[in-house]
Amino acid sequence: MKKSGKFIFQKYDTENLINRRAALVTIAKAGVFSVLVGRLAYLQIAENSNYKKLSDNNRITHRFLEPERGIIFDLQGRPIAINKQKYEIIIIKEETRDLEKSLINLKSLLPHANIDIEKILKEVNSRKKFIPVEIIDDLTWEDFSKINVNIHKLEGIYPQIGFKRYYTQGESHSHLIGYVSPIGKNEEETNPLSKLSTAKAGKIGVEKAKDAILRGKLGNKNIEVNASGREIRELDRVNSVQGNYIQLTIDSELQKFCYERLKGLSGSVSVINVKNGEFYALASSPSYDPNIFSKSISNETWENLLSDKYKPLINKSISNQYPPGSTIKPFVALAALESGVSHKETFFCDGKHLIEDTSLESGYKTFHCWKKEGHGNVDMTKAIKVSCDVYFYQIARRIGINKIAEVCKRYGLGEKVFKSLYEEKSGVVPNKQWKLENVGSRWMVGETLSAGIGQGYFLTTAAQLSLALAQLINNGMKLSPKLIYDNETSNAYNERIIADPRYLKIIKNALDEATNAPGGTSYRSRIIGNYKMAGKTGTSQVRAISIKEREEGLIKNKDLPWEKRDHGLFIGYGPTTDPKYAVSVIVEHGGSGSGSAAPIASDIFKYLFEKKLNLKRNEIFNV
Amino acid sequence: MFKQNNFYSSAFAKLQSINYPLLGLIITLFFVGLAALYSISNGDFSSWPLKHSQRFIFGLIIFFLVIFFDLRLIFGYAYVIFFLSIISLVIIPFFGIESNGATRWINIAGISLQPSEFVKYTLILALAKYFHSINNDSSFIKTLIIPLIITMVPVSLVITQPDLGTALIILLGGISLFWISGLNYKYFIVGVFSILCSLPVLWQYLKEYQKDRVLTFFNPERDPLGNGYHIMQSKIALGSGGIFGKGYMEGTQSHLNFLPEMQTDFIFTMLGEEFGFIGTLLLLLMYAALITISIRLALKSRSLFSKYLSLGVCNVFFIYVFVNIGMVTGLLPVVGVPLPFISYGGSSMLAVMFGFGLLMNCYINRNIIIEKTNY
Repeated sequence: MKKSGKFIFQKYDTENLINRRAALVTIAKAGVFSVLVGRLAYLQIAENSNYKKLSDNNRITHRFLEPERGIIFDLQGRPIAINKQKYEIIIIKEETRDLEKSLINLKSLLPHANIDIEKILKEVNSRKKFIPVEIIDDLTWEDFSKINVNIHKLEGIYPQIGFKRYYTQGESHSHLIGYVSPIGKNEEETNPLSKLSTAKAGKIGVEKAKDAILRGKLGNKNIEVNASGREIRELDRVNSVQGNYIQLTIDSELQKFCYERLKGLSGSVSVINVKNGEFYALASSPSYDPNIFSKSISNETWENLLSDKYKPLINKSISNQYPPGSTIKPFVALAALESGVSHKETFFCDGKHLIEDTSLESGYKTFHCWKKEGHGNVDMTKAIKVSCDVYFYQIARRIGINKIAEVCKRYGLGEKVFKSLYEEKSGVVPNKQWKLENVGSRWMVGETLSAGIGQGYFLTTAAQLSLALAQLINNGMKLSPKLIYDNETSNAYNERIIADPRYLKIIKNALDEATNAPGGTSYRSRIIGNYKMAGKTGTSQVRAISIKEREEGLIKNKDLPWEKRDHGLFIGYGPTTDPKYAVSVIVEHGGSGSGSAAPIASDIFKYLFEKKLNLKRNEIFNV
Repeated sequence: MFKQNNFYSSAFAKLQSINYPLLGLIITLFFVGLAALYSISNGDFSSWPLKHSQRFIFGLIIFFLVIFFDLRLIFGYAYVIFFLSIISLVIIPFFGIESNGATRWINIAGISLQPSEFVKYTLILALAKYFHSINNDSSFIKTLIIPLIITMVPVSLVITQPDLGTALIILLGGISLFWISGLNYKYFIVGVFSILCSLPVLWQYLKEYQKDRVLTFFNPERDPLGNGYHIMQSKIALGSGGIFGKGYMEGTQSHLNFLPEMQTDFIFTMLGEEFGFIGTLLLLLMYAALITISIRLALKSRSLFSKYLSLGVCNVFFIYVFVNIGMVTGLLPVVGVPLPFISYGGSSMLAVMFGFGLLMNCYINRNIIIEKTNY
């Protein structure tokens, strides 16, 4: 009984204890559930907007859309620079968890594609993590589809269709048009397209000068992506805007003709309309294929282009400066006429001209005419026709360097022709002040004589010479040189008269004789027919001739090494009856102007007279 | 003949005395899981949802089988059942299947099972029988040391798999029975204190990835693309769900694969994203109701064994729910614990149905008095 009583008591006690303990556990459970509910309320109600943003950031990615670059047309509306579709591969660092692994997978898929993982890693890490970096820029269709099939192995890597620039005219236009290549780090601030690593920018020529017009506007889209960054669907999009087109004044067929004519030589040709200042050709030789820049070019190719002694990368019509030599003489003659020198006044040429020079033993310095035996009595017309140096020494000395410089500058020498082309050089028209500022010493009389025949400090470009001549033979109208049609300057050329037409008539006549009269310097290159050309040759020295050489007899150009030979120049216009075109030709180290440059000009005029007497703009609508 | 009749009538009586609200809640939770899996598989019933259903039906069979066993028989074989489950843990290193650096699975007749899931309940079974059988005046060794050894055997076996999360749940489930059985609370204070003191030592024995998980728990930004990534993405999914959710099958975090392990450990997150706070609250209420009913049923039993067993099952179930939701909401470190009835996973489904089968059996046989045995 006692035992059983104890048992009952204990049973009761245990039961009570269990109930109490179970109740405590239940309370604890209720407490824990309240904590969970509180936590969920905090996450889902209080912090909802924050997490909503994070969730949207997770799933929504912003992508920029590359705009198509504006097309460049020629005078006739032929496309010169266009865009072609290409297959490319990009990588976005932000959207890959293991950059290197993705690249290794890519490399194993395309073993022949020459993927430099180290280089790409360096490039990717140097950019902001959300900027897509181009890995392969021109893929075959087979490789492109291979990537698309295996896309799940390539986290952060995206195949896409992009544009590549294509130059239809190849090397004949390459200096003028330039080329595009990836945007450099220094341009990132100014070029809005730099947000896209695949975007290109013009590096030289028109492509660079007009990059802001050609580049277009970036588009963008918001896309929904999954955890591995794959695009699931597009949420919204602002399309990119294609860059504006540009129409050049260049006639691509003429340009090509000029370039072909220069083949094998190092030099340039510039063709301008004397009536409105439109440039029809600006050719330079030798050249390069601009389409090699649409792919990344090898260091070797680049080095070869840079170190070539014929300088294929330089646009010789605007970026190389030459002493104008005798092509300056028409302008010196004009300066003389304006200074009161009569064109009938004669000077005697015995082959040399002496000036006092106390620093020399003999007490005077000798200036030679190119013709050792001299030209005898020479008036202005004859002086231009036979290019008598002694005549020009004497009138230069009489009118002074400042007058010569004033006339030359008025005609656009010593000044950039196209303000927008970055690589253009301005040339030099020296005067007393210039020498003091740039050389640091006083002007010498002898230097005036050198300047009178376009030597010494004088430097010009082919484009400058053609422009100066055009203004000389269009009865003195000031031209606005034009390379690109734009709304602001179209058909608005300046008719300001910058010289007395009576003087110009004398000079024009002399130039006509220089080509079309027996004994003229370019008589051998004259054109027989209804339309004639006229012009002035020039031979500019690139070396000093010593007294010893002068006594022993001049070394002929063909016996000199190429770099030491004279530059051959020619400036001409045509037709002589009603001038339409002015042409300048420079053949680097080509020997004499009459031998090297005048025949090229002659061919160009023949081409112009035969085929394209009336070059006219063919306006472009609906691009 | 008579016996047969007796069997049928008793079987019928058992079916009649089942607590149907509890069974109804279980079935409802299963359908919630089914809906979640249907969303995750993007409307493809033939993958996860189908298998989940098959497993649930299999689970129901186990549930009813357990019910039909005589409670006294279960009591009698409690240690044997526990011993068998321990054996299955022991053989894992020899016959087990390795995945992700841990060996937790064995293959029985083409079905992969995770014995540690069942051990949670067989330990409760064994401890319930043990505590039922000792007297209140039993010695310190009898009331504490022996049950502690019984508990630590499966716990240490599971730790070596290694599966720290499951081991801790087994341990907590066992300890909860110590508490229910009336062990003096002083022991608990001493226990908690000594565990806190030994933490630095235990830390040395943790695997690198386990240390990582714990460290990441305290600072999720520490490793935003590794372990912290899961916690962050889970919180983003829940938080962005808001009050009303993004809509069924409209969860961006889950459907765009930002959520890890959606079909198993993070299924609650996915529900939270698509159904919002309303949805998660409703789900929590269902679990709360299930636990409340379980406690009420447990306390109706006359025998200590039934009470211990039922409350133990209920506690283990509660721990599951708490650890899983605590984990996906960033309150607890990420340990691989499924959400009962909802997560995709065969062993946990069968084990939890086995557990509730035991609980229901206790309820049906609540008036049976079980004699004390010599343990």
